[in-house]
Amino acid sequence: MTEKRYVMGDTAIARGALEAGVRVVAGYPGTPATEIVEECVGFPGVHVEWANNEKVAFELCTGASLCHVRAMPVMKHNGTNFVADFLMHVNFTGIRGGLVLISADDPGGLSSQNEEDTRILVHQYAHLPIFDPCSAQEAKAMVKEAFDLSEKAELVFCLRPVTRVCHARGIIEFEDLPKDLPAAHYEPDRQRFIMSAVEIPKFGGLKRPQIRHRWLNEKQVLLQEIMEESSYNWIEKGEGKVGLVGCGIGYTLVKEAEQYMDRKLPLLKLGTLPLPREKMRAFVKGLEKVVIFEETEPFVEGLFKKIFQEEKVGVEVLGRSGFVPADGELNLQVVLESIQKAVTAIKVSQPEVPSLNVHIPIRTRTQCVGCNYRGILNALKQTVRKYKGIVAGDIGCHDAGSFSPLELQSTIYCMGSSIPMGSGMVVAGINQPVFAFIGDSTFYHNGILGLVNAASNKINVNVILGENTVTAMTGFQPHPGTGVTLAGEKTAAVNVTKLAESLGISYRVVNPYDIKECRQALEAAVKEEGPSLIVSSMPCYLLSTRRGKKVFEPREVQVDPERCNGCMICINDFGCPAISFHKPEKKVSIDPMICVGCALCVEVCQRGAIS
Amino acid sequence: MKMNVVITGVGGQGNIFASLVISQYAMNKKLNVLGAETIGAAQRGGSVVSHIRISEGTIYSPLISRGQADLLIGMEYVEMLRHIRLLNPQGTYLLNAMRIPTVLNNMGLDEYPSAEEILQGARKYCPRGYVIEASALAKKLGNIQMTNVVMLGALVKIMPFFNYEEVKSLVKDNSPERFKEANVRGFEEGYKLIAHS
Repeated sequence: MTEKRYVMGDTAIARGALEAGVRVVAGYPGTPATEIVEECVGFPGVHVEWANNEKVAFELCTGASLCHVRAMPVMKHNGTNFVADFLMHVNFTGIRGGLVLISADDPGGLSSQNEEDTRILVHQYAHLPIFDPCSAQEAKAMVKEAFDLSEKAELVFCLRPVTRVCHARGIIEFEDLPKDLPAAHYEPDRQRFIMSAVEIPKFGGLKRPQIRHRWLNEKQVLLQEIMEESSYNWIEKGEGKVGLVGCGIGYTLVKEAEQYMDRKLPLLKLGTLPLPREKMRAFVKGLEKVVIFEETEPFVEGLFKKIFQEEKVGVEVLGRSGFVPADGELNLQVVLESIQKAVTAIKVSQPEVPSLNVHIPIRTRTQCVGCNYRGILNALKQTVRKYKGIVAGDIGCHDAGSFSPLELQSTIYCMGSSIPMGSGMVVAGINQPVFAFIGDSTFYHNGILGLVNAASNKINVNVILGENTVTAMTGFQPHPGTGVTLAGEKTAAVNVTKLAESLGISYRVVNPYDIKECRQALEAAVKEEGPSLIVSSMPCYLLSTRRGKKVFEPREVQVDPERCNGCMICINDFGCPAISFHKPEKKVSIDPMICVGCALCVEVCQRGAIS
Repeated sequence: MKMNVVITGVGGQGNIFASLVISQYAMNKKLNVLGAETIGAAQRGGSVVSHIRISEGTIYSPLISRGQADLLIGMEYVEMLRHIRLLNPQGTYLLNAMRIPTVLNNMGLDEYPSAEEILQGARKYCPRGYVIEASALAKKLGNIQMTNVVMLGALVKIMPFFNYEEVKSLVKDNSPERFKEANVRGFEEGYKLIAHS
């Protein structure tokens, strides 16, 4: 029985996996992939978990796959980078039960620290096959098929949806879930699953890595055959000597663009890697040039050039190496402009709209009003100013402390880099106190390794752990410090203070709604030698509020205009969206429509003007 | 039948709830629906936008492009202006008279335009518009988080496509148990905010 539902692309992907009989799903939260894992929860016989990082998730899924069970590790592109080491081994060993890696890309960096194209790592580097969906519907079909093909090829298959697939909503057909999934069983096969530099007699003493590499190379023939037949690649006829190629979401945008064009150009829709060589050759017959629309790197473009050179096809290949902008997200405007540039005779009609002569201020995100991070960040700002400190930052809600007005963290790179980078500043011999600010989910992801390193090497770095007991940024997923599993079962929460004790480092636990207490702890940490840990502990305000729990007693807060001298401390060192500065009067005021009454600003104001 | 709707606001104002209600309404009418949301990092007090595309025919991109929106819902002044170019000048906008200054506005380093400037600009761009005090009403009713349901009530009054009773029951069905009653009330009061249709 099928049923139509209006759901997000992520839900469609999850449903596809469930319909394919996935038994193990593991991931680490990351926009835009997070909901894929959450949507797999609650189905009997399916183990779904938030792993503490993507590498753990992938390795766990591979373990399941070797027991002939279908498994799906889920992550965003940054997570796939983190998995690279394992990926470069599992490609050589292959898998047993279908293993489909979901690696979601975020063109334009809409919710990411960078923009990148995981096709390069997974296909070019690891030589693994990829499906690149053009819509939520196609993503569902692809993930289902990928499980079968993964078992057929004995290889990891990858689905690479972009944000506009993951977070698009559409009407999706839900089919029945399979009953009676096969039971797990394991037979040792050390020739495959022991990746080691051991000599293989059968191959005249060649070492195993080379033999497994050869195995992977030989698999490419099968993959080529599979993709040549794939229903995710097709040709649409059109007029003229210029052909368009739409890869994944690029196809969708070309179809949208067609509605504004006075003629239909030949179009090749691509959704697979390896590319279908035969189809490509058939498509370019009679064409002089092709324009490739893909997210984000000129990857398929490069493959086209390589294949055309090998096959001596004299067709000009244009795309994201500059003809189409080489950075950012594709959109209708970019596609139309590129088509116009490639086919000057074409007429493109787009509605003109009037201009608007009103200045529109840019809005950057910040912590929520009422967030406890604002308390510890204010205390840290004051401490850093007093002692001329440097703050190495990390990923999480607190990262907004690096933006205007606080401008506190000096570095933010990838998950867990704060403590090692801060440690590096210390060992470089910098004569200033160094702080590393990290949230708890990031800490368990791999930040903990930096702390262990700092402790064992006696590095004088002051680590602030923002313990809000949840992965807040991506929508409140539990982590090893939460004490609850994804399925909602109680489990042990990591005890950070006991961890600090076992590492032999000093630690202080503070309430971030008590700025004075935070400052005292920070100053004490600065004054002592060796690594120290400050645990700023309080559950996330937003999540607590949604659950009807209070993390502070709300009170009405006002500014006394007589006492306010417009010093701006409450704005520049605190940055609450409810407090604004009024130039003519040189005073601040609190907007009661925005304020939630955490009253942290009362402590921030040095003149007692807020009460 | 073809209708493109854009909802703009600041993270936390309840865009997604409103977008789901509109999409489900269209789906119940057996129409095709495609949507897109801002989710994730941009949520935290950042600028958010939802696209909803409704059609009898095939819809390709979930994103609405320049001048193609029939309806623009602004949960906040400048957030509506930020995306006004998506609106067909012959379309309709519904604006919540709510001002959420940006960080740089608060610091006095950037100007937040005056309500007058904003309304003038919007009127000049598109003559058919409605400006309502949805957040003020929501706060009066007990919770500013109800702004979105107040807006939905007003929307039903100005767009004949929407049926009052059907949207009301979708608001109810989509609300968590403890907010059902309040949300329905907010919806009803929002409907009354618009004097004429």
